[in-house]
Amino acid sequence: METILLVDDDPAIRELFAIYLEMGGFRPITAFGGSGCLEVLRQETPDLIILDLMMEPMDGWDTLRAVADARLSRLPPIVVLTGKQPVLADILRYGGMIWDYIVKPVDVKRIVSSLHAIIGREIELQEAMTAAYSAGKDRDAVQEYARLLRLVTVARNLETRRRERPWTDTIRIRSLEERLNTLHTQLGFPDHLLRESLTGTPPRDT
Amino acid sequence: MSAATIFIVEDELIEAEDIRQTLEKQGYHIAGICRSGESALAAFKSIQPDLVLLDIHLAGPMDGIDTAEQIHTRYHIPVIFLTAHADEASLERAKVTEPYGYVLKPFDERELRSSIEMALYKHRMEEQVREDARTIRVLANAIADAVMLLDENCQVIALNDAMSRRLKDSYPLVHTVPAIQFDHDGMFTSLESQVSAVLKTGIPVRFEEKRNDEWFEVSLHLVNGREGQKKRVLVQYHDITDHKMFESQLKKEGITQIEQNMEQFQILNDQIRNPLQAIMGYVSLDCIHYRERIMDQIAVIDTLVDRLDHGWVESEKVRRFLLRHYRDRPGSEADETSNDKPPEGT
Repeated sequence: METILLVDDDPAIRELFAIYLEMGGFRPITAFGGSGCLEVLRQETPDLIILDLMMEPMDGWDTLRAVADARLSRLPPIVVLTGKQPVLADILRYGGMIWDYIVKPVDVKRIVSSLHAIIGREIELQEAMTAAYSAGKDRDAVQEYARLLRLVTVARNLETRRRERPWTDTIRIRSLEERLNTLHTQLGFPDHLLRESLTGTPPRDT
Repeated sequence: MSAATIFIVEDELIEAEDIRQTLEKQGYHIAGICRSGESALAAFKSIQPDLVLLDIHLAGPMDGIDTAEQIHTRYHIPVIFLTAHADEASLERAKVTEPYGYVLKPFDERELRSSIEMALYKHRMEEQVREDARTIRVLANAIADAVMLLDENCQVIALNDAMSRRLKDSYPLVHTVPAIQFDHDGMFTSLESQVSAVLKTGIPVRFEEKRNDEWFEVSLHLVNGREGQKKRVLVQYHDITDHKMFESQLKKEGITQIEQNMEQFQILNDQIRNPLQAIMGYVSLDCIHYRERIMDQIAVIDTLVDRLDHGWVESEKVRRFLLRHYRDRPGSEADETSNDKPPEGT
């Protein structure tokens, strides 16, 4: 059973997601803020983290950086779930570290059902990266590819949902995709990794 | 018939009486007769005649020319000299008093009359010109802006008091120097090229200039005179220091306030989405079972909407502040919205 860590300062959200995650066949654990999240990660190795942004004193991005710096044996894939409108600068800076940016309120069932696919993609990406390292590929290029793959996925999702969740900024996805494609060919990653990113929103229907 | 009043200054009694009778016969009113310049000047403190007939050779400490000079500078009453002979030296001296005519003794009645009529007419015309100039000056000084008219060589043709003060500030010697020295490091440094541009193209120029702690909006307009007359440029300095200070104050305070409000709105947006998310989740699970939880979340939303109201009131304060300062400013967008009265806060 896969473990999901939900970081949110709102008790109702924590309670509710716990119920839905259990219904979706996951083992939910929750933390109320950034330090709580780091605390949990010292004992647990969740398969995915759902992260709120507007929290005090550490906000979601602070938490994200702290988790990345925590030198975990395995960094779980991260999904941002927030009431905050996306800001271009944040997306460009942190989009490479997350798999999705979801603005509340959303159908919780759809979110929960998308988590399996994200966990699966992160595993595929990690495997491909390990294979690339063993094949002696350039480490920087491999890591740039991983960041770009996530960023393009996030940007694609935001663009696809623009009609229901309008946001003011526009990401020039085209140039990001060109760079991603170049790296993809250069590093010889499996094609299905890329295909899923370029087709937009992962399946959400139950 | 003209009822002009004439004052006679003549030390010869018979001569004076002769003139008086002639003038009265011609329909003039005699304002008075004096035998010396001193007594005439004393009389003018209480009487203002339309014209003075003045013997050029008066006995006494003041002769006619001295007297005329006093009348000219102190009373602006037109003077006609009476003289027994065309004494070149005296006439030359008399010129500086700007007399309105000379009548040779013994006088011819018709010549005396026409000299008086011409002098009165000329004086009326000069008064009119002076009056026009006064009117223009009053109008020019009624505006707080410094205004001047320059010719093609950047020489000052006319200026109002405000400009005069500015020129004295930056060019203390302006009244002894015929033209503005544009190469000075003063307030007119940027003007010379602009003046020639306006003269060349005829297109008005407007720019902002800072001098010390003052800001000016400087406008230059081409003034076309009659055909063949040289072109002139009207230069106007409009003080926009208050406006500029308000702008910087606005940058500091207004923008900060708006940014704070926006940040507040962003936080509120985030916070309002949490209870919405919770309600959505509860409703999909079981409305009846989670009824209490749903009502709690609705109460949270209600509190947040109260805070939005508060944010609205704060924004309204900023809006009023902006309207108060930007209302009636040309080209200001605030003008367009200044009429719709904001609803009273609840």
